[in-house]
This record gives sequence, C-alpha cells and structure tokens, in this order.
Amino acid sequence: MSTTRLFLRGVADMRRFPLPQFCTLLTVCMVALLAGTGLLILHNVQHEVLKTQGQARFQIYWKVGADVNAVEAQWADLKRAPGVAEVSTFTPRAALSELMRGLAPKVSGGGFAGADAGSNASSGEDFAWLEGENPLPATALVSFDIPPAEAPEPWMGRMYARLRGLDGVEQVTYNPTQLTLATGWIALIQNAAWPALGFFALVVGLVVGNTLKLMMLARKDEVEILSLVGARPWFIRAPLFANGVVQGLAGGVLSLFCLKFLQSWLRAVLDVPPLFLKVEFLPLWQSVALVLATTCVAGLASLIAARR
Amino acid sequence: MVHLEHVNCILGGAQALKDVTLHVERGEFVFLTGPSGAGKTTLLRVLYGDLKPKTGAADVAGVDLMRLRGAQLPELRRKVAVVFQDFKVLPERTVFENIAIALEVRGVSAVSIDRRVRAVIRALDMEERSYARCSELSGGEQQRVAIARSMVVNPELILADEPTGNLDSDLSRHLIELFKQFNTYGTTIIMATHNREVLAWAPEARQVHLVRGQIIPPAPGSPGSVLEARPIIGGHL
Repeated sequence: MSTTRLFLRGVADMRRFPLPQFCTLLTVCMVALLAGTGLLILHNVQHEVLKTQGQARFQIYWKVGADVNAVEAQWADLKRAPGVAEVSTFTPRAALSELMRGLAPKVSGGGFAGADAGSNASSGEDFAWLEGENPLPATALVSFDIPPAEAPEPWMGRMYARLRGLDGVEQVTYNPTQLTLATGWIALIQNAAWPALGFFALVVGLVVGNTLKLMMLARKDEVEILSLVGARPWFIRAPLFANGVVQGLAGGVLSLFCLKFLQSWLRAVLDVPPLFLKVEFLPLWQSVALVLATTCVAGLASLIAARR
Repeated sequence: MVHLEHVNCILGGAQALKDVTLHVERGEFVFLTGPSGAGKTTLLRVLYGDLKPKTGAADVAGVDLMRLRGAQLPELRRKVAVVFQDFKVLPERTVFENIAIALEVRGVSAVSIDRRVRAVIRALDMEERSYARCSELSGGEQQRVAIARSMVVNPELILADEPTGNLDSDLSRHLIELFKQFNTYGTTIIMATHNREVLAWAPEARQVHLVRGQIIPPAPGSPGSVLEARPIIGGHL
C-alpha cells in the first residue's frame, strides 16, 4: 500500500474515534491559542515600542516674558526644519489654559481669550487674575526622526546644543534613556522570540504527544492486530502520523480563528481613553508560522507516540 | 518448522519457561496442554516473537528468534499466524476489512485481496455477513473471522491460544474441524488448550504437556493422562 493511501487511510480512520479525536483537537487548539496569545502580546508590545523608536523628543522652554512673535517665528522655523516629525507648541496663555483644565477637568468655565486653538477648549478654575503676570513660559515639544546614519546619542547631544542656542531659550530637556529603553525593549523582544518559540514547541510537543498517546489507547487493539499480522512499522505509523498532522493543522487554524476573536475583543476593550491601544492581529507570516509549527510539532509528536 | 533447544524464559522476574526443548515438523498438528499458568501462552508468545528467550536456541520457520530484531519481526509474523481466545478482531471494521487487513500489510493488490477474501469468506460460509461490523457478530462468528484472517495469507504455521475458550461445544468442534482441514493442506498448527473435548476431536494430533514452564513427557499408553498432571516437586514427577 502506497504512503499516500496510508495517509488517506489515517485521515479516513479519524471518524472511527470521534470523541478522542475531538478532545485531542480541542487540546491542540487551546495550546496553540495560548502560544498565539503570547505572540499577539509580543507583537503588539513591539509595535508600540517601534512607534517611538528612532525618534528623539525635546521639550524647549523659553524665558518668561519672551517676545511671543519672535517665539512664534522660531516655531515656524522649527516646523520646517529637516527631520522634524511632530511639533506641539504652547504659548504662555495656552499653557495656563492647559494647566487650568488639568487642575479642574470636570468644572466648566471660561478660558483665556486668544489662547491657541485646540488648547483652550474648556477650563475649570478661573485664573483670569494671572493675566498680565503669567508665570508660565512659552514651550514647544518637538519630535525628530533621528537620521539612520547617525548614532542616536551624539546626534541628540548636537541637537540639544542647537536648540539650547536659539534666542530666548532658557532650558531644553530631553530623555536619552527613552531611546535606550526602546532599543532595549526591541532587543528583549527579539531575543525572547526564539526561546519563546522553542518553549512553545516543547509545550505543544509534550501536550499534543501525550494527548495523542492517550488517543492511541483507543487504537491499541488495532496497532496490536496490525503488528500481529506482520505490518511493517511504517504501515502502522503512517496513518497515525497523518492523524497527528491533520489534528495539528486543524487545531492551528482553529486557534487562529479564536485568536482573531480575542484580538477583536481586546481591541474593543483597550481602544478607549486614556489607553487608546489599538491591538493588532498577528502579521501573516506569524499566523502561517503558528499553524505550521503546530502542524509539524503535532506530526512529530504523533510519530514519537506511535513509536512507543 | 519449530526448533527449540533448552529454552529458558523469564517473565515478571519468574521463570516462565524452563529448559524447554521442542521440535515440530512441517505439517504437524500439536496440542500444547497443561493447567492454567503452565506456560502455554508464554511458549506461544516466544514462537511469534512477542517474548525473547533468555537462553537456549530457538528457530521458527527459519527465523532465529535469539537474534530477532524489531525490523525482522514483520517477516516472522508473515509466516506465522496467531489466533487468540479473545478473537482480536477490529469491532468497528467489517468482516471483509478484518480479513483483508492481513493482505493489505503484505502489499497485495486490491483485486487480489478482493478475490482471496471472498474465497475465504465463502469457505467459512459467512458470505451473508461479509459487510457486517464485527461488533455485530457472535463470539463464534468473530472467531471464524480471526481464523479466516489467518487462513487468507496461507501461513506456514498457525499458533492458536485457547481458540475455543469462549465458544460453546458445537462451535468449538466446528472450529477444530476447520483447523484440521487447514492442517491437511500442509499448514503446521500448534494449539494451546486445556479442553479435553478438543483433544478428543483431533486424536491424531501430538500432545505436548507443560507444567510450571517445563515440558513433561506423557506417560506411555495414556495420552489423556497428561491433563491430570500434578505439580512437580523438586523438578521431578
């Protein structure tokens, strides 16, 4: 009997033991789902970290009482500067308005006339008495894309010096550890991916192998009879191997559907203020890898179980 | 066909076979008799390669059992068919499939399988039950399926371990007639039994009596007396 026919027989024989097959499928699916959830978390953490990787963010404070027109001219220059990814600016009034809103977010009230659009929407406490003696400086939050050819920290040092040298600037702050942290996260994720994958393969192998071994108890008589009538090992193992492969494939695909459901639910739960976390589904290659890995491990585990 | 010389076998820490020497020629019909626990099943297990003797020399159908490796086991099992008391048929498969499986493992073509299986089913008068699941059959019918599975491959040797143990007297006699008929075609048969009736139905068969793992020679002129053997004290009768 050809190997193809043995495989087909193995698949056809699956209907003979519906309950053990169903239980095995459920186990494979749940283990793959568990691994898929791990991958989903890793992928989304990496995605979030990558969004800020390669960028440097500077907070620039001008002197109190600096000429607003001159400062606004500098902001316009900053926005046109090469490599600028994002600029958020605050006039002293806008900053005060933000402060008021932050101090009393639930109390409605007026703001300062003339504050920057978008930053004076609503305010709580009335700080009108501070008008004319506003102690807050003009500030800008500027994000730069670090040129790929540049080493991040020296580049940030140079940019710091340049911003610090602008007219009227009193202070510039930036956090070089943010970049280091992001790089560290990426390295951790990349380094953790392979061990995690290996661990997943081991867990799937053990669980699926033991489950298949249990399932084979239902086919013990068949294996014994085949052996008694002179079947060669491959004749006995090939259908069991096919059974394991189909279980792995079906379990892997089923786990993807479950994972999609989980991702949709997480997205609905987490994409709300103040989190705004958009949980993404696994990229195609990771989805395919999950199904393939489950299939391979299940096939291998069934071979080992059949050998025993 | 079977040549055992001073075979010793340990099973579960106890000596299951003790210095067993047995020669069975091609075409012989041999009964293995003895009380429960005498070693009949153990001896049969050695003969179909399920147990490896600890010491001695053992050759079955040209296969040296002392040097038998896993890969050679299918070769031995293709020469030696085994019939058990508990039938060992696949309940979820049909009569036809149960018999055909012995040919499928040998790579016989589908056409040939169909022809040979139908011939055996006809010989056993089970044509009407060809496509019935074995779980729907009576004990006697299941045993006939097991015998059919052995017959269909024309084995050199059939080992039967209490094949009538679960059958009534009429069915048992019918099965013994089947074995005898098969034996007339030249197939060697070794059957373990402790049923006196069975021995009487095949008086021409040689009887080998086992007690506590040892072959005991029958008392001269009293073939039936071997069933009454008493435990051995000090290794002697």
